[in-house]
Amino acid sequence: MNIHEYISSGVLEAYALGALSEQEQAEVEKNLAQYPELQRELEQIEAVQEDMLMRAAIKPRAAVKAALFDTLDAHPKAEAKVIAMPPASSSATIWKYAAAASVAIALITSYTAIHYHGKWRSSEQSLQGLIAQNQRMAQDYDQVNNRLDNIEKQIDVFDNPSFKRVIMKGTDNAPESMAYVYWNEATKEVYLSIQNMKELSKTNQYQLWAIIDGKPVDAGVFDADISGLLKMKDIARGAVTFAVTVEPRGGKESPSLQTMQVAGNVVKEG
Amino acid sequence: MYGVVFRILKKESVAEEVLQDVFLKVWDRIHQYDAGKGKLFTWLLNIARNQAIDKTRSREISKEQKTGGIEKLVSRIDNEEYIEQRIEDIGVREILRGLPQEQQFVVEYLYFKGYSQAELAEEFNIPLGTVKTRLRLAMQHLRTTLGIT
Repeated sequence: MNIHEYISSGVLEAYALGALSEQEQAEVEKNLAQYPELQRELEQIEAVQEDMLMRAAIKPRAAVKAALFDTLDAHPKAEAKVIAMPPASSSATIWKYAAAASVAIALITSYTAIHYHGKWRSSEQSLQGLIAQNQRMAQDYDQVNNRLDNIEKQIDVFDNPSFKRVIMKGTDNAPESMAYVYWNEATKEVYLSIQNMKELSKTNQYQLWAIIDGKPVDAGVFDADISGLLKMKDIARGAVTFAVTVEPRGGKESPSLQTMQVAGNVVKEG
Repeated sequence: MYGVVFRILKKESVAEEVLQDVFLKVWDRIHQYDAGKGKLFTWLLNIARNQAIDKTRSREISKEQKTGGIEKLVSRIDNEEYIEQRIEDIGVREILRGLPQEQQFVVEYLYFKGYSQAELAEEFNIPLGTVKTRLRLAMQHLRTTLGIT
């Protein structure tokens, strides 16, 4: 038996409240005798119950006490009675008792079966509800966690002095457009952050290029609707300019320079 | 004991009568008490509770409570027992104040209004399992409030 689950079902509270059927009560008592942990838990529940009710106690009128003692004096204390077992007379009576007992057992069993079926159904329902709730929570948690990871990564990039920010301003093709590149020359990492870029048709994508020794090097493709920082392909030492062109979805090996949208030079240090 | 009985029955004369019955029952059955199955207080509580609940189900009380409506309200306001009950209830509220609403509700109905868990579940359309877990949470909460370790 899982003690923890048993305790959290609230069965001990119900027991202390006297809310269980005789059968359930007997079962709890059996478990109590077997597991000291349950015994301890019950003691605490009883203590809470007692404390709470004692605090909420109401004193009866004084006359009640006097009347009570009068009644008790007049009321003989029941002595333990010894009842002799009647001797088994004949086998016929035994069979009668046996038949009666089996009928009784059958009745009790079917009653308990129905009773527990009802209970089982209701707990099954609550369990389903809880499982669903739990899954939703887990999903929400994952989402929040992912967002937090992203934000942490962004802060790392913004905070890290090794990242150079390259401001790419709009060309004549798209004077309103603007995007930033964060480039770490040492680790070659490149991140892109869109400030303002037009939506493209579904067949096209933006492609980022780094100009090294006068030659364009592919740094990856992206769409206009990304938010936050987007990790691009690594760019090694020597890039002097970053630029973005419009290319067919998936990108090309060499840029269509006439479609250039934004471009910016890497600021030399010192 | 009297508090338990009185809160369920809400009428001084009936509560006193039931209290008397409770003590007679205890007197007769004290040899049945088994310390291994719980505290004496719990045993007494359950006798008192059951006796009071039996009483509410008996004819005389249900008749009185059914003749409700405006007369009942007026008579209750006139009734000094009613006022007394209100004052005593402040003590209960004090203890329960720290609990979330739904746990307060469960404790109040189970302990102070004489509802059984099944009745509470049915009447207010709460799954029985929820009633149980709420009671459990409430009792745990009260454990801290009352400083029981």
